[in-house]
Amino acid sequence: MRALDWVIIAVYLVYVLVDGVRRAKGTREIEGYFLANRSLPWWAVGLSVMATQLSAITLIGTTGQGATDGLRFVQFYFGLPLAMVILGVTLVPFLHGARVFTAYEYLERRFDARTRSLTSFLFLVARGMSCGTIIAAPAVVFSAIFGWSLLWSVALMGIPTVIYTMIGGVQAVTWVDVKQIALIVFALIAVMVTLLVQLPVAPDHALALAGAAGRLRAFDFSLDVTNDFTFWSGLIGGTFLMLSYFGTDQSQVQRYISAKSVDQARSSLLMSAYWKIPLQALVLLTGVLVFVFFVFQRPPLLFNPADEQAVRAVEPARYEALDERYHTALQARATAARAAPSAASLDAFRARNADVSAAREEALGLARRVTGKAARDVNFIMPWFVLHYLPVGLAGIFVAAVLAAAMSAVAGELNSLATVTVIDFYRRWIRPEAPDAHYLLVSKAATGFWGLFACVVATFAATLGSLIVVVNRFGSFFYGSILGVFLLAMIPRARATGAFVGLIAGMAAVAAVNLATPSVSWLWHNVIGAATAVAVGLVLSARRTLPR
Amino acid sequence: MSDIPQPDHDSRLFRRTLLRVMAMQVATLLLLWLLQIRYTR
Repeated sequence: MRALDWVIIAVYLVYVLVDGVRRAKGTREIEGYFLANRSLPWWAVGLSVMATQLSAITLIGTTGQGATDGLRFVQFYFGLPLAMVILGVTLVPFLHGARVFTAYEYLERRFDARTRSLTSFLFLVARGMSCGTIIAAPAVVFSAIFGWSLLWSVALMGIPTVIYTMIGGVQAVTWVDVKQIALIVFALIAVMVTLLVQLPVAPDHALALAGAAGRLRAFDFSLDVTNDFTFWSGLIGGTFLMLSYFGTDQSQVQRYISAKSVDQARSSLLMSAYWKIPLQALVLLTGVLVFVFFVFQRPPLLFNPADEQAVRAVEPARYEALDERYHTALQARATAARAAPSAASLDAFRARNADVSAAREEALGLARRVTGKAARDVNFIMPWFVLHYLPVGLAGIFVAAVLAAAMSAVAGELNSLATVTVIDFYRRWIRPEAPDAHYLLVSKAATGFWGLFACVVATFAATLGSLIVVVNRFGSFFYGSILGVFLLAMIPRARATGAFVGLIAGMAAVAAVNLATPSVSWLWHNVIGAATAVAVGLVLSARRTLPR
Repeated sequence: MSDIPQPDHDSRLFRRTLLRVMAMQVATLLLLWLLQIRYTR
């Protein structure tokens, strides 16, 4: 990183802060603060939804995944367009038309206060924690790469985001998101072009190498329920996950209910799906090209500098021997890769690539033993490439894009956490009658509280490693069940008790499946939770309405 | 659910966006499929 890169990052941070804060003008009541008086244009809402989903880990982790595992992760999103269409014709008209602040508020109108309170409580716990992990993941990478303290890394992303979200509300979140998504897409395309220019072989040759190494396998039609990423788990499990996320999670619902009309609300939802699969494919393909790039440039044995230092300190002789073996394997692979693509040359390349992978696996195993942590350096591959090979200026733009991705994801969630805290708890249970100015003040305080909470969680999550995995899996325990309750809400004969018990039964079913057969992919948890919640809810509702 | 207003019937924007979105997804899936069959043995 040169001075110009740091200037770009500083300019970006100042611009985001100023742009976000100036959106506070005209926000005098909570409808303006939380829903922008339902006046936002659909395309801005759509881009904002897209930005909220795209976190920093998408830019640094998913590209790394593309480099090590290829395109197959893209299958995770196959259900997304389908889910958007289903939501556009079912739930969105109800939620927008109900003129509610939160999705859970609608559940009280349809069922009762306990269903509303339980679903909103689950949202607060899961989103509050996940907000912290969104900051933690890039903070860990930044502190390892730049040598910053973890607290400083968390503060760099957390403080500006909290300030502009707290002051500007949803207006700030949406309009800053629009600029952030533009920066992210620009950075990705610029990196992709740079990679293509810097590769010593033609694009067709590069793709042949990637294909030979299994990096271009985007479709897996196997019926293996223990495999996280197959065509079927993406299409079926993914549809249910996306229905749950976009239909019932306040961080998404709040975006589209702030649109001008039902038509604009569902168009904004579709808009967010517009670039989803292409953008994820672009992110993964960038990672694939980074893999090909490192076929011709020498990559480190371990991308995480902290792991490398730890292994070198504890087992220097073993590390040196392994590094030597790795270096020899890399040279043999590069030689095989330079040959014109043919069946024989690609077979030779594949064999040499297996030698490189074996040396890497052994080094990662060594790092695991030395550090006592689950050493996966996928998140460090892209930052390594950016810092060592991107031209001056572009490295700064990419780091700014990573900050933008983290900030846009956190801002949307902070705003929705504050909305649920104020609307579903404070106004519902503590002060039902108060002037709007009072609620506005409480809303800003709630945003600040959740921002602080997220930063604290981020600091701890980063040091506890496995907590990130726990938090990410936590949502899958009840997302499907909450979707089940919203589906019940659209069935006229469903009753309040049926919905409440169905919600608990759905969560219990997912917990039971996870306990009995933990190998079943978490993508199927949403299907199980939703189906159980609807079935139990309908049976109980039928029992209650039977004539005596 | 009688207190819930009915959705508006002007859904031209939705239909137009739907067509564009689906066309984009199909084009991307087709491209990914072509990449797979062309380069993966």
